[in-house]
Amino acid sequence: MITLVEAPQSSEPPATRTRTRERSAAWKRRAPLLPALLFTIAVTQVPFLVTVFYSFQSWNMVRPGSQHFVGFDNYVDVFTDSVFLQALGNTVTLTVVCVFVAMLLGLGLALLLDRKFLGRGIVRTLLITPFLILPAAGALLWKTTMFDPSYGLLNWAFGIEVEWLSDYPLAAVMAQIVWQWTPFMMLLILAGLQAQSREVLEAAQVDGAGRWRTFVSITLPQLSRYLQLAVLLGAIYIVNSFDAIYLMTQGGPGTASTNLPYYIYQRAFEGFDVGQSSAMGVVVVAMTLIVATFALRLMFRAFDVSRGVK
Amino acid sequence: MAQVAYAGASRVYPGAHSVRAVDGLDLCIGDGEFLVLVGPSGSGKSTALRMAAGLEDVDEGSISIGDRDVTHLPPKDRDIAMVFQSYALYPHMSVRENMAFSLKLRGMAKSEVNAKVEEAAELLDLTKYLDRKPKALSGGQRQRVAMGRAIVREPSVFLMDEPLSNLDAKLRVETRANIAALQRRLGTTTIYVTHDQVEAMTMGDRVAVLRDGVLQQCASPRELYDTPRNVFVAGFIGSPAMNQLTLPVDGDGVKLGELKVQLPVRVEPGEVTVGIRPESLSLVGEAEDGFDLRVELVEELGADAYVHGTLAGRADKVVVRADGRTPPRLGEAVRVALRDTGEVHVFDPESGLRIGAE
Repeated sequence: MITLVEAPQSSEPPATRTRTRERSAAWKRRAPLLPALLFTIAVTQVPFLVTVFYSFQSWNMVRPGSQHFVGFDNYVDVFTDSVFLQALGNTVTLTVVCVFVAMLLGLGLALLLDRKFLGRGIVRTLLITPFLILPAAGALLWKTTMFDPSYGLLNWAFGIEVEWLSDYPLAAVMAQIVWQWTPFMMLLILAGLQAQSREVLEAAQVDGAGRWRTFVSITLPQLSRYLQLAVLLGAIYIVNSFDAIYLMTQGGPGTASTNLPYYIYQRAFEGFDVGQSSAMGVVVVAMTLIVATFALRLMFRAFDVSRGVK
Repeated sequence: MAQVAYAGASRVYPGAHSVRAVDGLDLCIGDGEFLVLVGPSGSGKSTALRMAAGLEDVDEGSISIGDRDVTHLPPKDRDIAMVFQSYALYPHMSVRENMAFSLKLRGMAKSEVNAKVEEAAELLDLTKYLDRKPKALSGGQRQRVAMGRAIVREPSVFLMDEPLSNLDAKLRVETRANIAALQRRLGTTTIYVTHDQVEAMTMGDRVAVLRDGVLQQCASPRELYDTPRNVFVAGFIGSPAMNQLTLPVDGDGVKLGELKVQLPVRVEPGEVTVGIRPESLSLVGEAEDGFDLRVELVEELGADAYVHGTLAGRADKVVVRADGRTPPRLGEAVRVALRDTGEVHVFDPESGLRIGAE
């Protein structure tokens, strides 16, 4: 009996035993992460699922008891809502223009900072300041100090009288966002510039490349991963812009400067239409996921190409 | 093909204590010559090279390449090619693109560029790797790409800044010979910077020794070894370094322990620095003429052994080359004899200059 019992034990394939041990070791390593994971699920995934549930309901909070299931009606409404489509357009314009302009300005400033001059530290700190100011404070600063029609700096400086916020609402918001995000781009690109090998630049010089040619053929390709990262992070943040629009234009005049986050906010907390705003939220999440997946995939492919570059 | 001439060329780094990194360098490198700039770190050898490349300003004096004064020309107008210590390959370009870059900038036709790149790749055994990126190459291959990038341009001067210092010892010996052979074959004027005196001795037609930005001596390797102009050159060239002892003059010679050494030149009474290379000394039997040495360290290199010891009754250290098969033991007292008094170098102890030179 004893031998019979013992035999299978000793002949148990070692692979099974190590697999069990590996599994328990893996769980030991995971365990400390679990609270954070549960927390993340609780604050992101659960609300999302609830939102999905709401998006199939017709529910206006002003009329208690009106909540009932309507299937895809809310989604149909969203795509036929001209304001939603306009807000979508505004979001795309805002994101693309702001990321592009902020990156160009950041590149220019980074190139200027990537050389020795007296007081470079002070200049760098001053240039970073917009990024350190609270977004809400920055937005108010631009709304009043810069754009105010009667005592704004812009009108005073150019001796004109323009109602910036009502005549060019989207451009005004973009100016503030670009101002806020240029330092971020500048810092990232400056890091890339300073990571360049000096000898490689000298080699290009000896090989007969002038400044411009060195920049285009050597510096820009080596910067590409930094530029990609700047675009990705900048786009993620700027798509979600809310404070600048809320504080500067309230999405107006009319809906001229309304973007998706602001429109959803309006529908949910001013129109109290939980069902429709939830449907919009779900649509936005879906679109963001699609764009981000493609963007990320492209980006990682690019990273792969330049990985290991010294 | 061209000669390179430094005329009183100086590089002065400004500041509260301005540093003369290269100080009044006068040096003429003949057409097709292989000149090695050698010196300890901080001696200004790389700076001197970079001045010729145009990567470092010339604050005083001038530099000319061929018949042209290039003192203030940018690097691209000097018709030079440089090989960097880190190779400085363009990381995002393939080997082919790396080599073709300068040719493309000159607006050369594509077919001609390809032909030249392939010819250079053939010469350097890089044909297989033409479409790889630098990161996929070994250290030795990267070094060859850096050489290839220089030779495709057919410049009038090659400038090489410690191109072998990132290679392992075996590869370095191999590549050393290859570069020297390549240069002889192409006949291109070359300035080569190194801190390795073996490279200096084996590769150069002439070797220029620098110290603190000042040229100490420029001569053929043999001449540097046989008649160093001062104690610095004497100590720098040769491994292990020459024994240098400052001793009182006794008549027409000096006393090295019990050994009376007749000096090959006439000296004033007082003190004198004598230099004796380790191979000029040998271990002999007790009865023979010589001086006693207490052995403190024996370096066995196989064929030879270097015996480090102190002179009996003095603090001076002396290194002797001995037969590798029968080295003395530590702590032993051995008798050391001088091979030939003609091999004794004599220097002025104050100025460090060779006495009775030229």
